[in-house]
Amino acid sequence: MTPRNEASAAPADESVWSEPLLLGISHLTRYSYEGPVHDSFNEARLQPVSDHLQECREFRFRIDPDSVIRDYPDLYSNCVHYFDVQNPHESLTVEAVSLVRTLPDSRGPVPQAGPEALTEAAVKEHHFDFLHGTEFVSLGADVWREAVDALPEGLRDVWTDTVAIGEHIHRNYKYTPLSTNVNTRAVEVIQRKQGVCQDFAHLMLGLCRTHGIPARYVSGYFLNQHKLPGEIEASHAWIEVFIPGFGWKGYDPTHRREPDTRYVKIAVGRDYGDIRPVGGTFRGKGTREMVVEVSVKRME
Amino acid sequence: MSDFHTPVPTAQKPITDRRDSQVMLSRVANSLYWMSRYIERSENVARLLDVNLQLMLDFADLNDQQLKEHWLPILCSAGDEETFFRLYERADSESVTEFLTFREENPNSIISCLFTARENARQVRDQISLEMFEALNECYLFLKSKNAREVWQSGAHEFYEQIKKYSHLFQGITASTFTRSEGYEFMNIGKFLERADKTTRILDIKYHILLPSIADVGGAVDAAQWQAILRSASALEAYRRFHVEDILPKKVAEFLIFSTTFPRSIRACMQRLDEDLHRLSGKERREYRSPEERAFGKLLSDLNFLTIDEILNSGLHQFLQGVQTVLDRLDDHIYQEYMYHPPVDMQAEILLHQQQMQQQQ
Amino acid sequence: MLIDRYEPEDFFDEMFADKATVRPHYGRIAERLQILDQAEHRRKQTAVDLAFMRSGVTFTVYNDDQGTERIFPFDLVPRVIPDSEWRRIEKGLIQRITALNLFLHDIYHDQKILKDRVIPPHYILGAKHFRREFMGFNVPKDIYIHICGTDLIRDRDGNYLVLEDNLRCPSGASYMLENRAALKRAFPDLYRSARVQPVDTYAAELRKVLQYVSPPSLGTSQPNVVLMTPGVFNSAYFEHAFLARQMGIPIVEGRDLVVRDARVYMRTTSGLVPVDVIYRRIDDDFLDPTVFRPDSLLGVPGLVHAYRSGNVSLANSIGTGVADDKVVYYFVPKMIKYYLGEEPILPNVGTFLASEPEDRVFIMENLGKLVVKSANEAGGYGMLMGPWATKEEIESFREQIRANPRNFIAQHPISLSRHPTWCGEGFEGRHVDLRPYILCGEKTTVTPGGLTRVALRKGSLVVNSSQGGGSKDTWVLYGDS
Repeated sequence: MTPRNEASAAPADESVWSEPLLLGISHLTRYSYEGPVHDSFNEARLQPVSDHLQECREFRFRIDPDSVIRDYPDLYSNCVHYFDVQNPHESLTVEAVSLVRTLPDSRGPVPQAGPEALTEAAVKEHHFDFLHGTEFVSLGADVWREAVDALPEGLRDVWTDTVAIGEHIHRNYKYTPLSTNVNTRAVEVIQRKQGVCQDFAHLMLGLCRTHGIPARYVSGYFLNQHKLPGEIEASHAWIEVFIPGFGWKGYDPTHRREPDTRYVKIAVGRDYGDIRPVGGTFRGKGTREMVVEVSVKRME
Repeated sequence: MSDFHTPVPTAQKPITDRRDSQVMLSRVANSLYWMSRYIERSENVARLLDVNLQLMLDFADLNDQQLKEHWLPILCSAGDEETFFRLYERADSESVTEFLTFREENPNSIISCLFTARENARQVRDQISLEMFEALNECYLFLKSKNAREVWQSGAHEFYEQIKKYSHLFQGITASTFTRSEGYEFMNIGKFLERADKTTRILDIKYHILLPSIADVGGAVDAAQWQAILRSASALEAYRRFHVEDILPKKVAEFLIFSTTFPRSIRACMQRLDEDLHRLSGKERREYRSPEERAFGKLLSDLNFLTIDEILNSGLHQFLQGVQTVLDRLDDHIYQEYMYHPPVDMQAEILLHQQQMQQQQ
Repeated sequence: MLIDRYEPEDFFDEMFADKATVRPHYGRIAERLQILDQAEHRRKQTAVDLAFMRSGVTFTVYNDDQGTERIFPFDLVPRVIPDSEWRRIEKGLIQRITALNLFLHDIYHDQKILKDRVIPPHYILGAKHFRREFMGFNVPKDIYIHICGTDLIRDRDGNYLVLEDNLRCPSGASYMLENRAALKRAFPDLYRSARVQPVDTYAAELRKVLQYVSPPSLGTSQPNVVLMTPGVFNSAYFEHAFLARQMGIPIVEGRDLVVRDARVYMRTTSGLVPVDVIYRRIDDDFLDPTVFRPDSLLGVPGLVHAYRSGNVSLANSIGTGVADDKVVYYFVPKMIKYYLGEEPILPNVGTFLASEPEDRVFIMENLGKLVVKSANEAGGYGMLMGPWATKEEIESFREQIRANPRNFIAQHPISLSRHPTWCGEGFEGRHVDLRPYILCGEKTTVTPGGLTRVALRKGSLVVNSSQGGGSKDTWVLYGDS
């Protein structure tokens, strides 16, 4: 087992960016197949949201082979694009380009909120989806034990304790690219004590929900100016918790900090399963290679 | 439930905006075709076995080798030799008839044919008349019952008569209850393709036994054997009406190949096929649009000009094989043209894959 | 003769008010049964069974690899409902389904009923068949449930109660039609003289409903409607083929359909032909492997895309299963009050929710007296009949309820009404229920009659075909006698 003091999710970057930023994002995914495939049906969640923290000014979505693209808003108001490619093809490229203006959070200080504020039926039921176990985040005994370790005294203040849970993860889990995969569950992360951002987000959801804090998965991007060794530029994941009297507030356990203006939010959901950036099925032989190229650049 | 087709990807089918209720699903066409084909096949196998069992009564004391020589060609024409010898040691009357009648391991046994036919009918239960399904289902229930084997054991003739009757009943009911539509044509095509094919095979059996070389044509042959050929094709009486003289091998072959009036001759079957094919494609008579159809049309037209002497001179066996090839290719063509849409068998042919990626920064 | 020895015992009997008194609407039947002897009964029964077997009116039972085809046992004595009684049932059912359709629209849009605290939201959001993917999605004509089969039972006093709503793919309508045909053949004179309302309008009505919900964007007056079946190996395949045939529409399997550019087509001998409406007899989970279960080979990849794009209608719509949940059933009377401002005409069976703490205490203390059902099972599975259960069964359910209370409800056992039923040598009372069929299109209609299921085992209350149930023809009279 890794000694506790040596594990670290990522080096602490203490700087906080509070200036508005204009970010240009390009996200390209190319699948190459073992042979011709056909009847490919896909959904993509790649369009950044517009809310009080960011404004999506431009968005272009392209696929190759070309096909008709349609979209709909899902339950959590994420924009879902869907398309199909019928004819045989040997590769599929999905490209999303966006221009997003990010803003600092102007809501002021986070109010105190004890467990009694959360147990209030209204909060519980309004956020039912974000309080329960899901496919990736089961609320079993392993998660419960870890949640107790993270917060031995139990829940006292929602935001303070969210930060405590995040720091617990950052302290005890090692950021290790390629140590897990897209289907890794929160329980496995606990066993392995390592993972990537998707895993830390899932784990944190499990710990927060176990303590009764409504918590949701956030998929997005992050302007990364200090890459870790072996770290590639890719899509990022963090979480948001619901604070009574305030609203949703983000926390990034991978970097042990609140998301600031370097962060761009694409979609929210109960877990990764709700926000798969590109997902679908096709017929034919398997995938030979998948290339993902993400770039996030300052535009001014 | 089709026979042995390896799907080959073809171009995507065109999109039509038909809004009438007369469309026919490719799968349904396929089922109707095979239902009809398998019923016809069961009838032919029944007749073949019935006739040969009776023929054996005239040859009381055959040794193993002679028995084998008699039954082996029949086995080859109607079943699967390899499967047979996995199940039995000796090819004699008992084993061969059991194999071709009751063994479900043999896909062409009477029982397999009728089970398959019934399963195809079940797949398209809503497309055929209630009476058709009832007739076939009754036959199925009979074969599944203990009674079937008892009837067979107490007198094979009665049993095979019963099988033939089921087939005739089914065809009669079909003719009087099924709407004349595309489906009817698919059933006809299945029936006549099978029938033409079986007639070539019945003739070919005796080619093996009786005509080891062309020189022997017209030599001393056993009238009983040739009579058996005619009876295998249900043609004895028709032949006698046509030819008053004795049963001559050449005349028998001529009759079974060329007759335009006898419904089981190769030519008569092909004429019916020709009509149904044209009705199906909506093309003018004598218009053939694919290599397979053209080969078929050419053979049909050859039958108008060839003589039996020419066929015997260039080899009856070769000729019959040529006919079988043309029919096989036609069967394939019909499948490709009307029934095949890639992919057919999702489980076997196709894997569904999920594409996804990890969020890993 | 045979009927004279009949003993109604201490139950509500459909035919007899007491041992000596035949209810007026059974008058003609009683007269006919007076002159029915064993031999005649046997003759008629054999003829009917044979006809069912021969025409393949069967369902498939899977015990091993090979499915066995069985007929659904048919009892010759029809169940009779007088006109005035039927009118009340009809009104009650229409009221119920109207509320259920409003409810489904509401929870997939504004969720007012949750916001107004009529139903605690977690019951809906945590329901197994709640399809959050279809929040905000508009189904054609706002109709979610097009076809519904509601199970009714009668208590000791003869009151009709709703036992459950079947809102996904209710089956059995074909038996309603076939039973009628069989009974007409068996007792033509009796049928004629009894003045019975016909049921054979069902197929035509269903077809009308399906055409009515064709996607408006397609603007076609002649939509192509198909029935989608999981295939011949499905136990209800007979019914699928039967209904398709009655409606004159193609019966298709997943492999017959293909999606191109968000349109559904069927593969035919003349190429791809568009499909506008699918009467699907296949659960949500298996419709489209792209969206739901990736391991499903029954479905059509891309079907949900086409549906979402408004290019094809599904009946029933995706997501109706949430209202089929037995926990949600508990709230239907409240829905009727909430959406319609009316009192429910047909009450529920008294139900306890295991996830409500007070109810749970009561359930746990009375497991041996209650009927416990799991929320999303059908066909009589996942059920505990407390009074008849063994200690082990009871304890096993206690564990299950403790582990997942949301998944269980409990009800007082209702003794179910009984009906004279042929039992080998004479008539004995057997418990029955009633499943009428409701269709929602331009208007809502209830076919007069339905499927009366009968528990053939003595004393049994389980009427499901998979567990020893049989059926009867159901007569709704033009008058009251």
